[in-house]
Parts: sequence; structure tokens; C-alpha cells
Amino acid sequence: MNELPISLTEQLNNILQSITYFAPETALAILFLLLIITGLLFRNDADWICSSLCLLGLIFVFQRDVQQLYFIASGPKFLFGSMLLLHHVSVLFKLIFAVLTFLIVVYIPLDRQLKVHQKGLSDLYAIIIAVVFGLHLMAMSVNLLMIYLAVETVSIGSYLLVSYHSENRSVAEAGLKYVLFGFAASAIMLYGLSLLYTFTGTLDIFNTHFVDQLIRINPVPVFLAMLLVIAGIGFKLSFVPMHFWVPDVYEGASTPVVAFLSTLTKIAGFALLANFLTPFIFFNKWTAFDFRLFFSIIAIITMIVGNFAAVLQNNIKRMLAYSAIGHTGFALMALVTFSQQGVSALLFYLSVYALANIGALMLCSFYAGKNSMLMVQDLRGLGKTEPFASVCFVILLISLTGLPISAGFNGKVLVFSSVIEVYRQSHNILLLVLLVTGAVTTVVSLFYYFKIPLYLFLKPAEISTQKPTGNRQFPLLIIIGLLTAIVFLLGIFPSVLANFMQ
Amino acid sequence: MHILSLLIFTPLLFGVLLLLLPSFLRNSFKYVALAATLVQVVLSGWMYFQFKTGASFTGINHADQYQFVEKASWISLNLGSLGKMQIDYFVGIDGLSIGLLFMSSVVMAVAALASWEIKTNLKGFFALFLLLDMAVIGVFCALDFFLFYIFYELMLLPLYFLIGIWGGVRREYAAIKFFLYTLFGSVFMLLVMIGLYFSVTDPVTKNHTFNIIHMMNPANFAQGSVFSLSAHQMLFGLPARSLAFVVLFIAFAIKVPVVPLHTWLPDAHVEAPTAVSIILAGVLLKIGGYGILRICFSIFPEVATAGAFWLGLLGVISILYGAMNALAQTDLKRLIAYSSVSHMGFVLLGISSQTTEGISGALMQMLSHGFLSAMLFFLVGVIYSRVHDRYIYNFRGLASLMPQFTVFIMIAFFASLGLPGFSAFIAEAFSLIGAFTSASVNGLLPSWMAVCGSVGILLSAAYFLWTLQRMFFGETRLSGGESWKTALTDINFREKSALIPLSLFALILGLLPSLVFSKINDSVLALVHLFR
Repeated sequence: MNELPISLTEQLNNILQSITYFAPETALAILFLLLIITGLLFRNDADWICSSLCLLGLIFVFQRDVQQLYFIASGPKFLFGSMLLLHHVSVLFKLIFAVLTFLIVVYIPLDRQLKVHQKGLSDLYAIIIAVVFGLHLMAMSVNLLMIYLAVETVSIGSYLLVSYHSENRSVAEAGLKYVLFGFAASAIMLYGLSLLYTFTGTLDIFNTHFVDQLIRINPVPVFLAMLLVIAGIGFKLSFVPMHFWVPDVYEGASTPVVAFLSTLTKIAGFALLANFLTPFIFFNKWTAFDFRLFFSIIAIITMIVGNFAAVLQNNIKRMLAYSAIGHTGFALMALVTFSQQGVSALLFYLSVYALANIGALMLCSFYAGKNSMLMVQDLRGLGKTEPFASVCFVILLISLTGLPISAGFNGKVLVFSSVIEVYRQSHNILLLVLLVTGAVTTVVSLFYYFKIPLYLFLKPAEISTQKPTGNRQFPLLIIIGLLTAIVFLLGIFPSVLANFMQ
Repeated sequence: MHILSLLIFTPLLFGVLLLLLPSFLRNSFKYVALAATLVQVVLSGWMYFQFKTGASFTGINHADQYQFVEKASWISLNLGSLGKMQIDYFVGIDGLSIGLLFMSSVVMAVAALASWEIKTNLKGFFALFLLLDMAVIGVFCALDFFLFYIFYELMLLPLYFLIGIWGGVRREYAAIKFFLYTLFGSVFMLLVMIGLYFSVTDPVTKNHTFNIIHMMNPANFAQGSVFSLSAHQMLFGLPARSLAFVVLFIAFAIKVPVVPLHTWLPDAHVEAPTAVSIILAGVLLKIGGYGILRICFSIFPEVATAGAFWLGLLGVISILYGAMNALAQTDLKRLIAYSSVSHMGFVLLGISSQTTEGISGALMQMLSHGFLSAMLFFLVGVIYSRVHDRYIYNFRGLASLMPQFTVFIMIAFFASLGLPGFSAFIAEAFSLIGAFTSASVNGLLPSWMAVCGSVGILLSAAYFLWTLQRMFFGETRLSGGESWKTALTDINFREKSALIPLSLFALILGLLPSLVFSKINDSVLALVHLFR
């Protein structure tokens, strides 16, 4: 036997030390188990008990995440023998996850379509917590194996979420599509990861050996391997051409689940991509694969395809699905700056996008009631009967479009600023093309987003076929109002959030 | 004294008050809106008389020479290694803005009077109206580019709803067309704005800044920055500063509107309710002209000089094309909309001459057109509110039916076509003098442009007089018959109280142009000085 590189005691010490830095994830794991047990014990009251347990747990996780900001004040920290890397940006991502999950858990019981589901909701909460556990790992993983495990945890949970209620064919179809494409994407990614392992002999991407080895071998297979890995991550980000599953799945899945997929998993995808690219970006001799060129082109295509396809949609959830693809493209623009400012712009942009998008989807639930297909035509004249909700909708759409005064506008300004600043140093024409595409697609997005105010306010109601909305949906309205207020106030005082995202 | 903030945010205060009022008081909403605008008229009138002139109050590129200045830190973003992103609430006025500020307040008050005809969803209408009012006044006062942009964009949303909800038959189309057009201009303006931000440093704090006044001084541009005068950077193979100028110019030219970019205007003006047409023509178009002067010409004077010929050409094309289109219209409101395109062409022609006369004339034309177009749209609104028709050939011999109305129509038409004694005559004369002298003073514009501009006046005489003859003279013959005859009552007290001040302003500015010229002269001289 040849001797082990690290002695057993050292390894054990490392693990024991790491566990102290693993508090949020441990908490999530325990919460997951608790939820399953509670769901089994309390059959009838399980829903609200699980929901409150979930919320309490998330508050605890949030508090632990905040604590981590202080733990790593002295610098980033590798955990579990370089499996995970706990650094400032990853903690920020985890904080965003905790807050957004909280919102979604509050939202789930308020959606009528899910509420009438006979299976109950307790399992849904458990799955969500398991997925959030995976998301936390995604934000930190710096090891090829860990990356795959984290992504799979999220994927399997997401499959269950999408097909949680499958009473009709379209939902079942959406669920099946998602599973098939998802497995194909993971298989592709796994293949890419294993290729990278064969080339380098190490799983640790921050190991100097890793990039060194990749530079030495023929760039073509390396390019192929990278492409496969990025395609796998791209499935989570839903950039073009890995976007084809998005519209069908968003249309079929229940609205809170769409809110979850379109924000949390997407943001985690960005976190993972940033982690994965870091060693390559900061290695100067790396030339085999021009990431800036590659992602700029992807971003441009994604912005164009997402926004122009959204113009043609009349189903609101489908429209939001395509617009989410467009937003991925825009956020990629912040990523290709590969600068510290770009990352904070990305964080700000993604979090305000998530707030506005969740708000918009909540409004879909609000207007749809039990009806799962909400077309823009259904909103005809509802601005008069539901003035508060409709005004909130307009403000959230303004934020999604990126017009002042709204948080979305400030996010857009920050992203543009980071790109222009990098252009000033590098004079790369691609960045200019990105800027122009971003500007043009903003105008396009106005066109489809404003279909909603058009039907809400401008088109008169048809002979009163008003659905009896309102009354029971009061709590949902309060949350929507709060989200709108946050989005609006972040438009006037962006410093509150933006300075935190540094 | 925070008089400028008071002026900007008065509508907001009244708007909040209005939202709090219960709906059974809906008949009082219009009085709330009117009160807000009247407070603004008083404030801006007071400021107009307090406005100091002289060599030490020129404004333009001297921050200390602006008046009623207020400055407070607003957004302070920590950008890590790049220092701080500092955005100020920075407002102040100089000769370029003082006249426009007063004119806008008056036009807003008239628009409030015109919105008496709105019958549905009053709370929404007046809340949006007041929001728009705030944004418009804010644009004229802002000296921080970010703040300017916020106000500039903030105008779009209320206008979209004002046109889209209370407008005419094709209101949805007109509203989204207007919105898309303007947004198309302004998103690119956003990019240039951020580019300028990273190019300019505050001479004192050494931070990047959005301060428009600092952007006017070439010394404040960082060495080798994108828009630095000395760096000669290229973007897409074009000189960066020229490209930035073109982008900004397109954004404002859409607003003015300059001819190839004007197609949103006839739709928006025609479909909008009277009050909104008045604001669009009276105030919104001036924001385009003001932006060209304050932003494009002041920050990129050398590009403006280099491109003066093309700008002048666009101005001439606007004058002639707008006038010819007006001749061909059969809808009275559409005719007036096209006459706006033509008259705003004089603004561009005057500005691009870059002479003192030309720029003074352009500023005067903006004020004059503000009062007169508000009056014209108000008059159209009077007919439309009575019989819901504006087709020119459906009316004949209105003079005998509505004598007082005809008096005001004649004042408005004759003033608009440039009759001596009215403001438009002075304004157009000065713009054309500027265009004529430009050939000898700075050689920017050939004199045939001035000649073509004069032809534009001739054409405007043609379409106005022809309309007068078609609709008002001759035997009374209405397509609606007797019911129209009873509906077409003469103007009432409310309408008179809106029309009389407007005609008086047009007359006073025509007889005593020095009232305006004395206030703006120092700033215009300083602006012309920038071009050397």
C-alpha cells in the first residue's frame, strides 16, 4: 500500500472544523427530516404546521447565513478538504436563497390551485427544503464531484416540484419533459466532468494542478469537455440553446413552483457558474477557451431570443417564461465582465429581478384563481375592479422592464455601469455589442410587458363576466403590496441593498 | 429657501392629497389639480421676476452662476475598487430654463382647465396628471444627469396611461407607439449617460460624477476616457464623441420631433384627450429642444459645430415637410399636430445656426409655441367636446354661430402664422436671422436654409388661412344639421379664462420681446461662447 497523502487524523480534524462552518446546511438537513416526520404524524393539520415549521426553520437558516458573513471576514475558507469554498459572494447568494425561499413558502398556501390539491402540501415543503439544501451546496461547490451532486440534488427535487400536482395532461407532459431534458442535461454534464477529471487527475478545480494540466493538453478536447459542463449548467440557467424546456414547464407547473424555478434555481446556476469559472479567469495563461467571447455571444442570443419570443405570447406564464430567458441573457452580461463590480451588479440585478418576478407570478395566482391558464385577455378591464393589485402589477412590470423609478432600473444601471467600466479598460467591441443588445431588448420587453397594463386598464371590460376574485385572497394581496413597496423603495434608495451586495 | 424643490414637488403633494380624498368628493378633484398648477404659476412667476441677470448670472457651464440652486446627496453606492457612485439631487436654473419653467406652469394650468371635460375615473386621471406635472418641471430643473434621466423617463408612464385610457378611438396604438419611440431614444441615452459618468471626474472630490455642469468642461474628462476630447476614442469605428452626440440627439429629436422621427406625434396628439394634447404640444416637445441645448450642445459643442449643416438641414426638412403635411390634413387636430412639427423645425434651425440671434429665436419659439399650441389644441377641444367631430369639411360658417370662439381662433391662427405683433413673428424672425447671419458669422449654415425656412412661414399662412376660410367663413352648413347647431354654443367662462391669458402672453411677448430676451441673453451668450 502506498501511504495516504493526508493522514487520517488531519482529515478528521478538517471535517470537524468544517462542520462549524456548515451550520445553515446542517439546519436545512434537519429541517427536511423534521418536515417529513411532521407530515406523517399530523395528517390533517400537516399543512399549516409544516408551513410554520418551514418558515421558522428558514429564519434560523437566514440567521446562520448572516453569521457566516462574520466567520469569513478574514478571508475565504475551504471546507471538507476543498469540497466546498465558503466565500463572501457565496454567503450572499445563500442569503438571497433564504429570503426568496421564505417568500415562496409564504406564497404556496395562498395559491388556490395548489391549495385544493388532495395530497396536501406538507411534502411540497419538504421537497423545497431539500432543494434549498442543494442550492446552498451549488453556491459553494468547487469540486467536480460536489458540483454534480449539488446539481443533481436540485434537479431531482425540481422534477418532483414540477409534477407535484399532475391532475391534467399538460402538467404531466410538462413534468415528463422536464425530467427527460433534465436527465439528458445531467448526463451531458457528467460526461464533461469526467473528461475534465481524466485530463487533470484531480477533482478540485481550485487546485493549481487542474488548470495547469488542462493548458498542457490539446485544446480541442478541453473545449469539448468545457462545452459539455457549461451545457449542463446552462440547463439550470436556461440560456439559449438550453432553454427549450422553459416555456412548457412554466406553463404546466403550478405558479409557486414556477416562481421557485425561475428565481432560485436560476440564481444558483449563476452562483455555480461563477464558482466554476473563477479558476480559469484568474489564470492568465489560459487561452484554450475564450469565456468572454463565448458567454457574450450566448448572452446576446439569449436576450434576443427570449425577448422576441415573449412578444408572441398571450399566456402570461409563458410570456414570463420567455422574459425570464431574456433576463438570463441580461444577467450573463454582468457575468462576462469577470470583475468584482460585475459580480455585485449581478447580485443586485438577480435579487431585484427575483423580487419582481415572484410578485408578478403571485399576481398571476391572484387573477387566475382556480383557473390554471391565465391569458392576457382574461385581464380585460380588471384594472377598475381590482385597482390595488393592478397598480402593483404595473409597478412590478416597470421594474422588470427596467424603467425608473424602480429597483429594476437601478439593477440595469449597475449592470450597464460594470460593462462600460470594463470596456474602458479592455476596449473589447463585444462589450459594446452587448450593451446595444441590452438596450434594444429593453425596448422590446416594454412591448410585451405592457400588454398586461394594456388589458388591465386600456381595454374596457366585456359584458360583466367578472370572476369572483378578492375576499379570500386578501393575504396574498398584502404580500404583493409589500413586494411592490420594496421594489419601489429600492428604486429610490438602492444604496440599502447595493452596498450590502459588495 | 427650497423654492425650486417646492415648485417641483407641489404637484406630488397635491397628488397625494387627491389620492386620500374619498370618491364622493370626486367633483373637487379637478379643483385640487387646478390649485396645484396655480400654485406653480405663482411660484414660477415669482421666480421669473426674482431671476437675476448680468455677467455673473449666466449659468450654462458655471455651477456657481445658477440660481435657486439646491444640492443634496441622494444615492451613494460603494463600488469597491472603483470608488463611489455618487448621485446628487442637484437642481438649479439659468436663462435656458427660467422661461420654459414659467411657460410650462402656465400651460399646465390651462391643461388643468381643459381637463374639465374628463368624465370617467377622475382620481386616476388627475393623479397621473399631477405626476406628469412633477416630472416635467423636474426635467427643466435637474442639473444632475441621473436625476434628469429619472424625471425624463418618469414622464412616459403617466402619458402612456393618460393617452391610453382617456384617449380617442385608436388610443391603444397611439399610446404604445409613443412609449416605444421615446423609450427607444432614452435607453441609448442611458448608455451614453453611464459612459459620460465614467469619463468625467469631479475636480474637487476626484470621484466620477453625473453633474452635467462638470461634463461641459473638457478639463474634467479623465485622461484616455471614452468621451475625453483629447483621447479620440472610437466606438464601432466612429469617433466616440460624435456617436454620443448622435445618440443623445436622436433621443431628444424624437421628442422635438425632427422629421424622420416624428411619426408618433400625429397619432399621439390626435388620440390624446385635449388636456394631454395641450401638455404634449405645449411642454413635452420643448423638453426635446431644451435637452438638445442643455445636454447635446453644451457637452459636445465641437460635434455640434461640425454637424451644424446636417442639423440645420433636418430643421429645414421638418419645417417644410410638416407644413406640407398640414396642408393635406382634413382632421383639424391632425393639422395642428403637423403644424407643431413645422414650428418646432424653426427651433432646430435656430439652434443649429449657433448664433446669438438664432438661439435666442429658438428659445423664444419654444415659449411662443408653448402658449400658441396650447391655445390651438384647447380650441380644437372646444369644438370636439361639443359635437365629437373634428373633420374640417363637416363645418362651415362657424363664425356666425360662435363669434367669440372665432375671435380666439383668429388670434391663435394669425399669431401662429407669424403675424407681426405676436410672439411667433419675433421668434421665427430671430431664428431666420440667425440662419441668415450664420453664413457670414461662422459659416455653418448656407443661406438657402433661411430662405427655405421663410417658405415654411408662407406655407403655414396657407394652411391656417385656408382652414379659416373652410371652417369659419361663408354660410353656416354643418354635417350634423340642427342638432349640431344647438350643440355648438359659444365659449363659456372657463374656456375664456384659459384662452385669454394665452392670447395675452402671445401678444405681450410679441410687443415686448425684451421681457424674455433680457432674461435669457446672458445664458445664450455664454452658450454661444462654448462653441468657440
